[in-house]
Amino acid sequence: MAPGRPFRVLSPRLLIQGWPWLVLLLALVGIRLSKGAFLSELYALLSAPFWPGSAQKEWVTSAQQLSDQIQLAQLRLDNERLRTVLELNHANPRLVMAPVISREPGGWWQQLVIGRGELQGLHPGDAVVAPGGLVGRVASVTPVTARVTLLTDTSSQLGVWVGRTQRHGLLTGLGTARPVLRFLEKDPQVRPGDVVVTSPASTLVPPNLTVGVIQAVNDKAVPAPEALVQLSAPIEAVDGVQVMLTGRR
Amino acid sequence: MALLSRQPWYVATALAVPILVLASPGALKLSGVPPSWAVLWLLPWALVEGPVSGALAGLGLGLMLDGLNLGGASQIPALVLLGWWWGRMARHGPPLERSFSLGLLALVGTVLLNLSLMLQFALGGSSLEALRLSGLPILLAQTLLTGLLAPMICSLLLLFWRQQTSSLRG
Repeated sequence: MAPGRPFRVLSPRLLIQGWPWLVLLLALVGIRLSKGAFLSELYALLSAPFWPGSAQKEWVTSAQQLSDQIQLAQLRLDNERLRTVLELNHANPRLVMAPVISREPGGWWQQLVIGRGELQGLHPGDAVVAPGGLVGRVASVTPVTARVTLLTDTSSQLGVWVGRTQRHGLLTGLGTARPVLRFLEKDPQVRPGDVVVTSPASTLVPPNLTVGVIQAVNDKAVPAPEALVQLSAPIEAVDGVQVMLTGRR
Repeated sequence: MALLSRQPWYVATALAVPILVLASPGALKLSGVPPSWAVLWLLPWALVEGPVSGALAGLGLGLMLDGLNLGGASQIPALVLLGWWWGRMARHGPPLERSFSLGLLALVGTVLLNLSLMLQFALGGSSLEALRLSGLPILLAQTLLTGLLAPMICSLLLLFWRQQTSSLRG
């Protein structure tokens, strides 16, 4: 800048001529203020064909499943060891597969007849599980068959446990598809969607077997609230069950 | 009369009742409820054989069926009563042959059978609410289904047994 010359601001003409640069500058300011939103979006649009596809997703899912299974096996072992230490009822009894040879879930008596009996070591009182969870208990045995009282039968009563709120309740069959869960205290704090498992303190059936999900809660019932439980095992559809040989008597 | 009961093969047809109860064919169910096979067999038997044989057949069926279920209520009283009633009805009135009357008799019989079970469950301590929820649909479905099947099954059995009885007698 030559001395003596007056300090010149940018002339309006120059400003008008350089408008594209101004627009670019404004755009860059915009990018800065939006923390690079435009650039990220642009990059996402361009790189979309190269994103991790279904193959990667499968690998990750299978790795996750493997990890879950290993963890489940470890926890089972751990649980068994701790229960042995505490001298509690064992969680992992011997399982016997049994075919369902007669099914009567709709009549006055909610029962199954299964094709394994006393010869295979079954006893009255053994827990019967199907894919999905507990379905009932063995009521009587013959040499090669056994009759199972389903959880929905009116004669079935079982102590259960709502894991989320850590409350005990008594699961009683009504003769309909859904048994009712009667709580022991006034305010069980359960809500629809809570998972019901067999009681950890149970002596009748192995502890922590899945039973079902609470479908509706009736707070008005006396003397204590009640809940309807949807069983997780599809009783109408099972063709085979597993009997847990826990009967030690 | 009671000619059929001297023939072991005709008595043995009663075994079809527990077998059908156990097999509970899915095609013959109404919302999961099977028909009352005992009523369907007992009705023609009692109509052909008379009150004493009918009541005895009801007792036998009741014993078999009570052995097959979990207990808490017995079908024996209702079946004995039905066998006796139907046998008396055939003895003291004009012979029943029309499908409609067979259907009606089976319908009334199934209602009585289910009501007797309901009464026993109620006396055994089941709540009325539970009985209304579970028992009423069973009663309605079983009554309807048995009433619909009776004209087909009972009239065939009745015809067959009447023929056999007349050939045995003559």
